[in-house]
Amino acid sequence: MNVRRVAAVASKEWRETVRDRMFLSLAFLIPILWMLVFGYGMVLDVENIPYAVVDRDHSSLSRDYLYRFQQSRYFDFKGALTDEREVEPLLASSRIRAVIIIPEKFQERLLAGQAVGVQTLVDGTFPLRSDITKGYVIAINTAFSEELVVAHVARIKGLAPDRARQLIQPIKLEVRYLYNQEVKSAWTIAPALVMLVLTLAPPLLTALGIVREKERGSIYNIYSSTVSRLEFLVGKLAPYVAISAFNILVLWLMAVYLFAAPFKGNGLFFYATALLFVFITTGQGLIVSLLVNTQQAAAIITVVLSIVPTMLYGGLLVPVSALAPQTKVIAHLFPEMYFTNIVHGTFLKGVGIEVLWPDVSVLVVYAISLLSIGYWLFRKRPSV
Amino acid sequence: MAPTSTQHSALGPQHSDTVINVSAFVKRYKKYAAVDGVDLDVRRGEIYGLIGPDGAGKSSLMKAIAGVLTYDEGTVNVFGTLVDSERAAERVKQRIGFLPQGLGLSLYPDLSVEENIDFFARLRLVPEQELAQRKARLLTMTRLDKFRDRAMKNLSGGMKQKLGLICTLIHEPELAILDEPTTGVDPVSRREFWAILAELLQAKGMTALVSTAYMDEASRFHRLSFLSSGKVLASGTPAEVQMLAPGLMVTFEATPQLDAITRLKTQYKQVEALGSLLRVFTEETIHATAMQSITSSLGDITPVQLRVDEPELEDVFVALLLRQGEQPTAVEMPPATPVTSNDALAIEAKGLIRYFGTFRAVDRVSFQVKSGEIFGLLGSNGAGKTTVIKMLNGILPPTGGEGWVAGVEMKTAGEAIKERIGYMSQAFSLYLDLTVEENIRLFAGIYGLDRQETKERLAWIVSMAGLKGYESSLTGRLPMGVRQRLALGCALVHQPRVLFLDEPTSGVDPIGRRHFWDILSRLAREEGVAMLVTTHYMSEAEHCDHLALMYAGRIVAEGSPGDMKRQVEKEAGQLLEVATDQPGLALRRATQAGFSGAALFGTKIHLLSLDPPQDEARLRTALSSDGVHVQDVLVRPLSLEDVFVYRVMVLERQEQATVKEAAA
Repeated sequence: MNVRRVAAVASKEWRETVRDRMFLSLAFLIPILWMLVFGYGMVLDVENIPYAVVDRDHSSLSRDYLYRFQQSRYFDFKGALTDEREVEPLLASSRIRAVIIIPEKFQERLLAGQAVGVQTLVDGTFPLRSDITKGYVIAINTAFSEELVVAHVARIKGLAPDRARQLIQPIKLEVRYLYNQEVKSAWTIAPALVMLVLTLAPPLLTALGIVREKERGSIYNIYSSTVSRLEFLVGKLAPYVAISAFNILVLWLMAVYLFAAPFKGNGLFFYATALLFVFITTGQGLIVSLLVNTQQAAAIITVVLSIVPTMLYGGLLVPVSALAPQTKVIAHLFPEMYFTNIVHGTFLKGVGIEVLWPDVSVLVVYAISLLSIGYWLFRKRPSV
Repeated sequence: MAPTSTQHSALGPQHSDTVINVSAFVKRYKKYAAVDGVDLDVRRGEIYGLIGPDGAGKSSLMKAIAGVLTYDEGTVNVFGTLVDSERAAERVKQRIGFLPQGLGLSLYPDLSVEENIDFFARLRLVPEQELAQRKARLLTMTRLDKFRDRAMKNLSGGMKQKLGLICTLIHEPELAILDEPTTGVDPVSRREFWAILAELLQAKGMTALVSTAYMDEASRFHRLSFLSSGKVLASGTPAEVQMLAPGLMVTFEATPQLDAITRLKTQYKQVEALGSLLRVFTEETIHATAMQSITSSLGDITPVQLRVDEPELEDVFVALLLRQGEQPTAVEMPPATPVTSNDALAIEAKGLIRYFGTFRAVDRVSFQVKSGEIFGLLGSNGAGKTTVIKMLNGILPPTGGEGWVAGVEMKTAGEAIKERIGYMSQAFSLYLDLTVEENIRLFAGIYGLDRQETKERLAWIVSMAGLKGYESSLTGRLPMGVRQRLALGCALVHQPRVLFLDEPTSGVDPIGRRHFWDILSRLAREEGVAMLVTTHYMSEAEHCDHLALMYAGRIVAEGSPGDMKRQVEKEAGQLLEVATDQPGLALRRATQAGFSGAALFGTKIHLLSLDPPQDEARLRTALSSDGVHVQDVLVRPLSLEDVFVYRVMVLERQEQATVKEAAA
């Protein structure tokens, strides 16, 4: 391998990439944008649900009931309505997503020991969000009812409130979430997004960079010169890997500081495995570039090949362990799953090579095979 | 060259001087044979030409020789190495420089001139010190030294082409393989390119294999092969090729022209109308007999201004193609509503100006085109031709000036203008997945023709454009020449009185081009359609009735092709062709002796002379004192390319003078 030729190819590639506006943004801007767009788009936590109330009772108990909602971080109070007819347009325009309607004689009937119905209207457009909203409403309502019962029992039996509570609810459930104590989806998703962006950006840059030369015909400069296949591939891919190596840092910083994901593991270990993963995805891009002849085809195939396994099998939305058995097998065929394990392991669990070595070894095998296939497919004397 | 068996040539070169030996070469793409049994033998030190239209198989052959494409049958020997594997190809690549097809496409647009050169040199491991020397010399020689730091994408076509040449030759290969290096470049840049190439090759004793689609460049080669549909139709030195189809070109005027053409066509295969002139190829080789046979076949029409010349190589190729049986379908112009011959103006441009930012792309352009006239707009890339067409079409508003097309003011007419004109572009804008008939019906639909009109126009187009038998063929599978005629038909579907043609014949073979021009001149003469044509094939400009030459946004010369030639002859003199035994040295001496416009054409030198006898004597003395033997000096007719080059050179010199004056 002649270093001078490698350097010639690499420096040419670097200059072309940073001078071409499209490639420059693909290299440095697009990864950041993807991180932002997917990050804010995929965080599944339902908080600050805008809601309104219609209080027909105007009693101290009804105010107390509604106050529970106002205090919750899950709800965002948008105002009190006097007429039910005002509800419909507000829901339709999505200004509010839930309405709580307190009937007349709410306090009177409760104090008389009668059951009262509180009507709750929830926007059902997105079932997941509606279910979660319903869950919150039920939780607040249950807590309020329980307190009423506790107060009642305490009064009748002449017990202290705590004692009454123990009587009514003998088993108290205590849940502690590990690794993601607040069960914030951002904690889980932001690190996985680092994986997503590293699956998408490096192969896209690589595939477009090589196919661009094929499309224009400048690849013939390589074919017709004495630069060896290995020299060309090393020189051509080095700038792309370097760009991705820089992007790993940027993405990590965004995950930790912008999305406030905790990072508990070894930074060096994470960086090394991320770089290994970049070699894999760059290899994917290389293979795509050798099989197609136009930039459009390269872009479409690369995006499909990257997005589908990442979204469906990479453990981004649904953990691999929760997949159906056949799907689980498919998931094991893509390198994304193994890197997701590493990402979640280093970010949330703080584990390193001692636990993740099986995933790391699989990635090493992937990197070596994909790059070898790319080298083997590249011909300086093609038949077309 | 004596025919050799495949086996023999596989063992090695027969000739110690052989650089390339190709034998029984076949290259297939899927089932289609792009090159089908070609033999080629290139010797050290020569410029060998591969000539042929698009799709003739030139690129496949050159790529296989450069070792960047596999082939299916036959042998390719380069420097005595049989190139049959990637490993074998690697062995000869250091000795080869390959410039792939496409102007500037092998270069890197975002790198500067210097960075491009450095990249190629370092890829070839040229030592840095040597690189600096070669770079300086080549940049000076190509006059690119002022643009070292300019990004390649901001260079003009001619500059890109020169840079491509530098990059290909920076490692001083023994063999340069250049695939259509002059396509898409204006005549001035083309001439400069040939001069530089000849000088470089001679200085380093390089060999070159060069392909071109311009038939008129054939005389630039020492030896050449003419390719058509993957086969070699003729090969040898230009003189040898000329001998393959002996004959003479007879040029004259005859009225009425259409009747004369009809009569001539019964006896001659090659009859061309060039404006008011008729050009006929006859197999007679004696001038007097040639004239006589023409006169007799014309009957009672008397030819005037009769002139007999040696045929151009293009005429020879056409004759060879015709002999192969590639008979052009006869043009049958279906009867149409007779046009009352009116001299009404079809197009008029008055002081058109167009600015792009502060750049004046079109500068006070005025011209007139009458009905039934073919008007040619010539000029280099970026001279403003397309901008003028766009303004007249109402696509681009002019910054100043006025224009009328088919009686409508272009500024106010808007859509109305588009109903009265037809437009045919270089790209042909056809739908390749539709059949011929579907394409015509589609265009009829676009122009809102009703069922009856569509039926009539369909029949008319099929007959006019010679598309019979192709009606249900897919457009994408048609030969370029047929596709081009279909595009013309589609542009005429709504019977426009004015037709704009933007480089309509790019990539079409010579017979196809002549057939196309046949149709155009009939459309003009019989249907009275006015046409505005742009072309970079200077030999085609001869077909126009009237020409305007654009330079830097202005019209700098105007007139009929004959007028323009006569003007140049008056100003600069006649064209002398000098044959010598040492062309390179002879050219340098001639230039030193004050013949500033001297240029190398293959092995011959062309120069302009106001006083041929005296200049001939002066030249002979100057050359013989250096031991150059002058074999022959001939007066040749000027071509339009000579006119173009002369005009532009004069303007460039004026421009440089003003720049210097301003600096002083």
